[in-house]
Amino acid sequence: MSMVYVNMFLAFIMSLMGLLVYRSHLMSSLLCLEGMMLSLFIMMTVTILNNHFTLASMTPIILLVFAACEAALGLSLLVMVSNTYGTDYVQNLNLLQC
Amino acid sequence: MNLFTSFMLTSMFMLLLPIIMSNTQLYKNNLYPHYVKTTISYAFAISMIPAMMFVSSGQETIVSNWHWLSIQTLKLSLSFKLDYFSIIFIPVALFVTWSIMEFSMWYMHTDPYINRFFKYLLMFLITMMILVTANNLFQLFIGWEGVGIMSFLLIGWWYGRADANTAALQAILYNRIGDVGFITAMAWFLANMNAWDFQQIFITQHKNLNIPLLGLLLAATGKSAQFGLHPWLPSAMEGPTPVSALLHSSTMVVAGVFLLIRFHPLMEQNKTMQTLTLCLGAITTLFTAICALTQNDIKKIVAFSTSSQLGLMIVTIGINQPYLAFLHICTHAFFKAMLFMCSGSIIHSLNDEQDIRKMGGLYKPMPFTTSSLIIGSLALTGMPFLTGFYSKDLIIETANTSYTNAWALSVTLIATSLTAAYSTRIMFFALLGQPRFNSLSPINENNPHLINSIKRLLVGSIFAGYLISHNIPPTTIPQMTMPHYLKLTALAMTITGFILALELNLAAKNLKFKYPSNLFKFSNLLGYFPTVMHRLPSTMSLTMSQKSASMLLDMIWLESVLPKSISHFQMKMSTIVSNQKGLVKLYFLSFMITLTLSLLLLSFHE
Repeated sequence: MSMVYVNMFLAFIMSLMGLLVYRSHLMSSLLCLEGMMLSLFIMMTVTILNNHFTLASMTPIILLVFAACEAALGLSLLVMVSNTYGTDYVQNLNLLQC
Repeated sequence: MNLFTSFMLTSMFMLLLPIIMSNTQLYKNNLYPHYVKTTISYAFAISMIPAMMFVSSGQETIVSNWHWLSIQTLKLSLSFKLDYFSIIFIPVALFVTWSIMEFSMWYMHTDPYINRFFKYLLMFLITMMILVTANNLFQLFIGWEGVGIMSFLLIGWWYGRADANTAALQAILYNRIGDVGFITAMAWFLANMNAWDFQQIFITQHKNLNIPLLGLLLAATGKSAQFGLHPWLPSAMEGPTPVSALLHSSTMVVAGVFLLIRFHPLMEQNKTMQTLTLCLGAITTLFTAICALTQNDIKKIVAFSTSSQLGLMIVTIGINQPYLAFLHICTHAFFKAMLFMCSGSIIHSLNDEQDIRKMGGLYKPMPFTTSSLIIGSLALTGMPFLTGFYSKDLIIETANTSYTNAWALSVTLIATSLTAAYSTRIMFFALLGQPRFNSLSPINENNPHLINSIKRLLVGSIFAGYLISHNIPPTTIPQMTMPHYLKLTALAMTITGFILALELNLAAKNLKFKYPSNLFKFSNLLGYFPTVMHRLPSTMSLTMSQKSASMLLDMIWLESVLPKSISHFQMKMSTIVSNQKGLVKLYFLSFMITLTLSLLLLSFHE
């Protein structure tokens, strides 16, 4: 596997670590989600351009669209939490206890 | 060719003249009541001529004037049936109305709308005449509805009073229920005999006449206040006393009985209908006599007395004696109207006091009213050789000697003694003893209008029975021979009622009134019938309609079945199934550890 792919794959793994391991702010996991999306996008574009896989040229655009929707959703959830509690600390999300 | 029809139609047409004159100047001045009264007295005099002709020669006429329309095979025309019943009833009704008009010239003297009052009374009389002389069911229905409407307008005369409006509406509603029966009978006759004329109906042979006769019985129940549709009659006492005297004692309420009398050729053959009529009349007469025993309003007692006598008339039809029932209608008109007029005289003199517990001792200040009240009550109870005796005693004798329902017979006899009981109660409380009214009451009966009108009906109450029953053509043969105890039954029951009531009243005069017993409450609250029947069916139907329309359709089917149930279900399920603690970081951490572990394990797998 060439170095470019390893590089981007590592970037993806970094963002994934950042999504799963965070201290207090919900915003940081959303940012890492964006990072994951970015690395995936670049990886997909480079692969398609290198292999001249013309028919799949629209897939990055579609990926962008879905990522934008999901970012909007995530932001709206963040805004709702922030409306209720004033901050976006994760320890506030404890209402669903049994 | 004699002038029979001319005189009769002249007499009828004369009654229309004051109504036609109501757009002219005559209506606006204060001589209009006098004009109406004189018109009616002349109409009475003229209608006596055909009555005399009928008495001497038995001439009956049917006048068919104007062919109105023909609906395919049904011919509707304006036709008057002047037979035994109409010819005798018209002079009696006109005589009584003449006296009542003169009485209301005194009673309603201070009313600003007295001209309109007389016009309404006259319109009522005209529609009653239409009813009585009708030869086909359509014309009878016109008269029937007309008397109902005028009754509504006259009961609600003092329309500022909420009770009067309620009573007028009650009268209309109960009469309407009876009208359903009438229309059923009309429809049946139209469909099965193709005629609304009496002649054709009586000739046509038909096997089973139960349906139309039941419809006519329902109509009579509604109009004549029989048990089941009776509460409107005591409530109708909200109207002025002349209205009570004219409509609800002599004229309108006998319309139902008159209808059944008109159909007597059909009722003769139908034993079932006769039994039904008999039982209905018997229960009416007993029930209303029981209710009359504990009422405190003098007009209500007389109203229940009317209802009881109407039940007696229906009983007479039930034992297949229509002519006796008709005789009782005519004689009853005299003394009942006079009883109402005497009550009106007492009420006005005591400054509009209607409660008999606040009267008393009127024996000396109002001698004329006292004597006419006593004579009227005696005539009502059937004192021998007064007016009521000729009809009531004959009815009781015929019922005793006929093969009839023993329960109905005994109930009628008990009601006869109760009649004497409540008549004694009226006389005792209103006339005898020490006065219980305010000291400054304007007791004055010296008005010639009052005296003359009551005097005329007084003479009628004493002599009319004799005169009528000795001048009418012979019809059904009365029972001539019977055992002496049966002959004296009516008299014995009446004397029992008198003596018992007098003793009870005298003995309990100064006793303290403790808590009322259950029987007293039953009688005073009219057998709980209005209380139950006016509230329960309406509450139930309104509640049911509200429940079905609002609750069932709107809130259950449209709101709750799909939308609310889905959301509720989901929320409940999610709270049941989920058991999370909200430790998000731990969950993400475990996710990452799983990933790493799986990566490490799989990459070192051979």
